[in-house]
Amino acid sequence: MEMEFTREIYWNVGHGFLTLGPMYLLALTAIAILAYGFLLRINVYKQGQSLARTDNPGQRTVNTIKTALLQTSVTRVTIPGIFHGLFFWGFFLLFIGTTIIVIQADFTDLFFGVKFLRGTFYKLFSITLDLAGLVAVIMLGALFVRRYILRPEGLETKRDDALMHGLLFAILLTGFIIEGARMAVTEIDSPLAVWSPVGFVLAKSMSSLDEGGLRSLHRFTWWFHLLMAMGFIASLPFTKFRHILTTSLNKFFADHGPTGKLATLDLEDEEAESFGVVTLQDYTWKDIFDADACTLCKRCQDRCPAFTTEKPLSPMKIINQLGDMAFQGKMDAVVDTFTRDAIWACTTCRACQDICPASIEHVGKIIDVRRSLVLMEGEFPGEEVMSAMEDTEVNGNPLGFGYASRGEWAEELNVTVMADNSDVDILYFAGCFASFDARNTKVAKSFVTLCREAGIKVGILGREEKCCGEPMRKMGNEYLYQTLAMENIETLERYNVNTVVTTCPHCFNTLAKDYRDLGLDIEVISHAVYLDRLMKDDRLSIDGADVSCTYHDSCYLGRHNDIYDAPRQLIGAAGGTITEMEKNRDQAFCCSAGGGRILAEEKIGSRINVKRVRMAAATGAHHLLSNCPFCLTMFEDGVKGAELEDQLIPKDIAEILVENLKKKTDSAARGPFIHSK
Amino acid sequence: MKILVCIKQVPDMESKFKVNGEGNWYDSSDLAWRMNEYDEYGVEQAVQLKEQIGDADLTVLCIGPDRVKETMKKALAMGCDRGAHIADDASYGRDPMEIAGIIVEFAKDKGFDLIFTGMQSQDRASGQVGVLVAEMLALPCVTTIIDFAFVDGEIQVKRELEGGIKAKVKTTIPALITCQLGLNTPRYPTLPNIMKAKKKELLSIPAADLLSVDTRQETAAMYFPEKKGGGRVLEGENTDLADQLIQILKEKTSVLA
Repeated sequence: MEMEFTREIYWNVGHGFLTLGPMYLLALTAIAILAYGFLLRINVYKQGQSLARTDNPGQRTVNTIKTALLQTSVTRVTIPGIFHGLFFWGFFLLFIGTTIIVIQADFTDLFFGVKFLRGTFYKLFSITLDLAGLVAVIMLGALFVRRYILRPEGLETKRDDALMHGLLFAILLTGFIIEGARMAVTEIDSPLAVWSPVGFVLAKSMSSLDEGGLRSLHRFTWWFHLLMAMGFIASLPFTKFRHILTTSLNKFFADHGPTGKLATLDLEDEEAESFGVVTLQDYTWKDIFDADACTLCKRCQDRCPAFTTEKPLSPMKIINQLGDMAFQGKMDAVVDTFTRDAIWACTTCRACQDICPASIEHVGKIIDVRRSLVLMEGEFPGEEVMSAMEDTEVNGNPLGFGYASRGEWAEELNVTVMADNSDVDILYFAGCFASFDARNTKVAKSFVTLCREAGIKVGILGREEKCCGEPMRKMGNEYLYQTLAMENIETLERYNVNTVVTTCPHCFNTLAKDYRDLGLDIEVISHAVYLDRLMKDDRLSIDGADVSCTYHDSCYLGRHNDIYDAPRQLIGAAGGTITEMEKNRDQAFCCSAGGGRILAEEKIGSRINVKRVRMAAATGAHHLLSNCPFCLTMFEDGVKGAELEDQLIPKDIAEILVENLKKKTDSAARGPFIHSK
Repeated sequence: MKILVCIKQVPDMESKFKVNGEGNWYDSSDLAWRMNEYDEYGVEQAVQLKEQIGDADLTVLCIGPDRVKETMKKALAMGCDRGAHIADDASYGRDPMEIAGIIVEFAKDKGFDLIFTGMQSQDRASGQVGVLVAEMLALPCVTTIIDFAFVDGEIQVKRELEGGIKAKVKTTIPALITCQLGLNTPRYPTLPNIMKAKKKELLSIPAADLLSVDTRQETAAMYFPEKKGGGRVLEGENTDLADQLIQILKEKTSVLA
């Protein structure tokens, strides 16, 4: 007989009712348990408020498949990510292989006599699955070593993890024993054996057993393997295995942006009994689902500026406390579970949310609780924050300066005030710090000087400008934010402003994204991007003096708006040589002042800004460049705290550009400025 | 219990002040306005008292032009039940006696059990209005209180005296209390209370209807203090510093003569 490259499916266990009956009964039971388990969970999700997250289903499906199959999110942390990714692919191929076998044996062959597991396809099938199993075992071993032997700090190991490791090892190893026993009887001298190298090695090692022993071993292991596999399916809803479904699905339900934008509350809603989150039921179903998607990978916690400076906030803990409340049906005030100190510690830096491989939205959950504390209880993290709020109500800035002096910084430069003349190229929305804080007015003046040099007509609102409301909003004071926003929008619309440039990323993010919900739709550009355009349009000429520097990505230009390259190009064009800090770009470490924390004293743990300044000093660079008045303020304070004043000078990008400005003599020769987009 | 809280709207002290055209007060343009700090303690204490006893009706009274209603709304949002706005564009020029007279005229037939005022205003700072109101209404008056308790129908307060000395005072109601820094931390109004405040009674009464007392004082002139020479910081080595100092003392003073 000619050699046929195939094998008998259900060899040794039989293909009759005595095999298929119990097998399919087990499978149906497992699937029924799985369905029941998830139905119970869906009821828990339903405790939450409604939220539309199914728009654009095509894009959502593509994103989900990409993230799940290509493992793009989990591999952002390379080593454990690759372990997980390869394990997933190994296990996934084995799953596909098993499905193909079922399709042939129990459908195409059974009903139509069609067998496709033969010939070259079978050879490829055989070696693929054999190696997939090997890779899965090795990767699972690596994950095991990481979790149980290396034990990275902060990695919580629970009973679930032991069960998962145990069950997966059992499934994979029994699979190989089945293969080895079968091959020992049927393929040991066949050329087919090389297409199952792992199985072949195992078959060789079993060759001392007689055929009867091998067959018994095979039959027993086959049923055991089946039982384990069905146990795996049934246990999905009840163990962390659920992440296979929930984490993938959470990508489907992910927030489609704009990145970091908070839900705008309808404060005029007469029906609303409360604002923000008081009890668990005030959260949306997605917030509860998020908790079910968490795999406790602790990547959020590792990057949290609050957690890593000994403050009682862990984004991972918040998510899991929320999950526990939902599943235990707790009706307590959410804030008592999270604790106030944890809620107020968040800087809204988005490091947690950005890295999360499970598409969990941490920041909004924290702000929602702050909203209830501020709007329903009048509570703040400290009296200094409350007086900053009151100062903002009275004078439109949290620093407490009289509103009428807001434009005074610009008087020496004779900057056009819109009330006098609104015929300008850009409106510079200076923000509170550049307007009042002595250190930051230097940045404002530098920016205006650069625009002047480029022949741009700059206008400011002066005393008509109010705080954009960002720190208040992030502190939970949605009412004050909306009041300020409406006044600013009214002013901007009155002057028919088309282009706003900001030197503050918090103003930038707020005007560009948050104000949209309140009706403002104009072009808002951050100064880093705007100056980069001026450089590229050859309107600015900078002497390339060699400046040794490191660059800090502010959270609101970086993670909130993905602006990483423009500032670097700008620094490069100005002759700056950037030595990157270890934590840069989307991994940058917050300065401590986001989330309204600029208004609050940092009373718990070590100082975030000092930690960041030390990271900057470790590069050996002499300048710490940034693009944000909050960062600059925190770094000026941080170099003192870290006693690094002699080594490291914090500056804004605009300042370093002005210092190296080459005065052009032919400025009149340049044509009218056209914005390049 | 019927409670009256008298508040005043004052400029934010960070504002840039200018003397007005008549030269007798500050110019009211370019100013941001807020509730007089000491009056906020009064509002807070009144609201806390209402929370304690439950059955109380809080009236907040403010004399001034239309813009003072904004400040009154804050008091209403903090928990006052109704507002009495004494509409008066000329209030800034009135002396403490006239202001007290207006309050008394409003309050005399309303049977208030307790009246709270600030110990003084942040702008005129006469410190007289509360005391004058008490005198005219023949009420016991305790000034500059930093602690307040209402126990068994009796008021027990702590006053702050010179040099950090405290005094405990008890009085029966009706009474008038003037409030000092340290009494409490005024609350931040909650959003539902801000919304409710918009619907609370806020009556405007022309000041002319309540003017019963003639003015006793007149502000003759308002001016910035004369700028005097600033300090001088000496720098250098200690031995040089001593020489420099001796030189200055010789030249500018007679201590070494």
